[in-house]
Amino acid sequence: MYDVVDFLLNTQLGLNSPDWVVMLISHLIVVGMLFVVAPLQVLFLTYYERRAIARMQDRVGPNRVGYEGLLQPIADGVKMFTKEDIVPESADKRVHLLAPIVTAAPVMYMFAVLPWGPNMIAVDLPTGLLFFFAISSISTVGLLMAGWASNNKFALLGAMRAVAQVVSYEIPALLSLLFAVMFAGSMSLMAIVEAQGGLFISTTDVPSVPDLGLGWFVFTPVGFLAFVCFFIAALAEGERTPFDIPEADSEIVAGYMTEYSGMKFALFYLAQYILNFLLCAITATIFFGGWQGPGVAWLVNQSLSADNPAGNPVYNVLAGMLGTFYLLAKTYTFFFVMVALRGAFPRLRIDQLMNFGWKFLIPLTMINILSAALWLAITRWGTAQGFSIIEFAGEPGNLVRWVIAFAVTLVINVAAYWFLARLNVQDHVARQAALAAGWLAVSPPRSA
Amino acid sequence: MSNDTLTHSITFTETPATLTVVVDPTPQITRGRAVVVERRRPKAAGWSLLQGLGVVVDHWRKSFRKLEDPTQIAGTFTTEYPEERLPLPEAYRNMPILLFDDATGHELCTSCFQCQRICPPQVIHMTQAKDPETGKPVPAVSEFIIEYDACMSCGFCAEVCPFDAIKMDHNYELSTADHSSLTVHKAGLLRPVSYYQSIAPTFWAEAEASAYKKLEANKKRRPASIGIAPQMIEQVKAAHKLGDGQPEAASPPAPVATAPAPDAGSAATPASNAALATSEGDLPTDKAARLAAIRARNEAKKAAEQSASPAASAAPTASDGDLPTDKAARLAAIRARNEAKKAAAQAATDPAQPAAEGAATALATPDAPLTDAPPAPATPDAPLDEKAARLAAIRARNAAKKAAQAEEE
Repeated sequence: MYDVVDFLLNTQLGLNSPDWVVMLISHLIVVGMLFVVAPLQVLFLTYYERRAIARMQDRVGPNRVGYEGLLQPIADGVKMFTKEDIVPESADKRVHLLAPIVTAAPVMYMFAVLPWGPNMIAVDLPTGLLFFFAISSISTVGLLMAGWASNNKFALLGAMRAVAQVVSYEIPALLSLLFAVMFAGSMSLMAIVEAQGGLFISTTDVPSVPDLGLGWFVFTPVGFLAFVCFFIAALAEGERTPFDIPEADSEIVAGYMTEYSGMKFALFYLAQYILNFLLCAITATIFFGGWQGPGVAWLVNQSLSADNPAGNPVYNVLAGMLGTFYLLAKTYTFFFVMVALRGAFPRLRIDQLMNFGWKFLIPLTMINILSAALWLAITRWGTAQGFSIIEFAGEPGNLVRWVIAFAVTLVINVAAYWFLARLNVQDHVARQAALAAGWLAVSPPRSA
Repeated sequence: MSNDTLTHSITFTETPATLTVVVDPTPQITRGRAVVVERRRPKAAGWSLLQGLGVVVDHWRKSFRKLEDPTQIAGTFTTEYPEERLPLPEAYRNMPILLFDDATGHELCTSCFQCQRICPPQVIHMTQAKDPETGKPVPAVSEFIIEYDACMSCGFCAEVCPFDAIKMDHNYELSTADHSSLTVHKAGLLRPVSYYQSIAPTFWAEAEASAYKKLEANKKRRPASIGIAPQMIEQVKAAHKLGDGQPEAASPPAPVATAPAPDAGSAATPASNAALATSEGDLPTDKAARLAAIRARNEAKKAAEQSASPAASAAPTASDGDLPTDKAARLAAIRARNEAKKAAAQAATDPAQPAAEGAATALATPDAPLTDAPPAPATPDAPLDEKAARLAAIRARNAAKKAAQAEEE
């Protein structure tokens, strides 16, 4: 965007604007675009979710407003905005007002580091991944504020659950993502996407593989296990159905949103759907190559850039469009999986959630980091790095190393999964037996 | 548990003291198939989760086709309501409606009050129609109100109605922003028989014969346009006008001059056909007709005389312009006699006519010129029998009286 603005202002119009003006204008344009895109994504996702889950339940879903109900989210939005804003008499009014803002603002920040296409990123932070998850944690504060300020027991219960859940599932989510940082050698999301070129085998592991944009991390045993763990953790972080404990409507009305209505409720809703969209997008970015896909690399090679001054600017636009298309297609696929999970599974209990997170996901992701380290050691390190497990000369050597790494990590990960699952099942069976025999008290007897 | 059907054999031991009912000694009670789900250990942890997800995705995939029969398990079976509707069973009942005969416009309701009595929420209200001349009740309803907002659609009114006049409708789209519109009056309740026939053909087929038989009997006791559905009055009148070719129904007995015209317009045919149909079986005797005519004439005369005297006494006190009152009264009496005579003559010559005429003149509105009015109700009913003749005579007298009074004022 900087280049385009610079070209228009200084070259075409000859304004000789200083560098900071060009920078400011280009960033304002990008930010403006993202602020338009984010609510539109929410509008579409609500419609998409309702239609998809309706189909899963043999229904049709909303199809009255507009063609096939496409205007339904707009009707919902109008309804939401025209509703009365009710603040409870005993609520802490200032915090009650601030809570939805504190919840919704951080998710907008997360857009800043999301790569939409080749060179299409608002800010390519070197610590993009860290920024993404660090800023998402701030939303939790907003949730707690909402629950506390509402002065409602259900709201407070929901907020406590939300904080407990989000805090405990951030650990496996980040542990499972560490492998990508190791593989790409960078925390920049752009670098992580660019490391996923290739065809089944990533070009970073075997450079001779044809680059079709399909060398996704998910095709490695390490990446696959990390993907499964991360997606489950993302469900918990986004408060999606098997883990929608904070807003369990059959238990605590609507959790921390109980006392909210109108625009403030809409903000919570917005924040939640943007977060879900971003979690799906980040899943696509880290495990499924983001904007990578067949054709993008070729278009990028044809396009105009500093390295290729003879390129055609049309290819820049085409590459961006194709990249965005791939990213959105992958994102919506994951959102579909989220909807399917919602259609299939009932809500977990809070203790089941905690057991699963702490006793299964965290050990599994830790073992996965070990596998990731082994993978790197086998495929990339040689005598030069001072740690040579296996070394073959030449190009076929890289492929052999890749195959060996694949086999080793597969064995480790499958064994880890099998062992941990068995351990958890045995623990569960033992607990059930103990409960049945009366060896374990469900709750400690209350002393008078 | 097995998948086999379970059979129970029950035997009855009979003691001599009890009634010996011979039941099939081994009744076979077939139970539904018991489906046993084997719960095996899953192959791998999380496998059953994927299976569950598979079911959902499978439903999603198959939902793009329409479910044709329930054995398909997956598929959309939504009926998109405003565009598509499920066929309603004939016995579906929502709100009561009143029926009227398509051909003559006569309502089937006779105001017997049965429905009003049985209605559990007491939402049916009606007023019996009265003969405007005599003030006596006639088997017809002048106003009928059902409060749809409180009606519970029990259908008792339709069950109890001896004349098949009230039936349950199939219309379930009654939502409105106007609450008062749910208090429905007679004009809003009336539906042609053909409508009910279209929604419940077999039920109407069962009721049709007796309903029409009773209607025919009641029609004879309904003077003028009483008992005709309000929305049908104009239509029936138009049919009548077309049928006799007269420009105005100024002299109501006139239509008898022309027989129900076969060349009449399409609108005219139902009424004239009905008139023909009614003429069968109730042919008047010449004697009765003549008697009625004489009585009518006498009564009219008497009325004219009675009305003339007060008018005359009033005359001196009044201004000179009041003179015509006497004359008008006398004129009315003469006209009444003449019309009655004419009617009697025609009744004598063509016995088939009066009934047809009855059907036709019944449509005559009471807003016809007063001087012409008296004979109108007298003639049609006259030839039927002794009683009817007397009734006609009384009516003629009353009408003449009224005319005279009107003239006085």
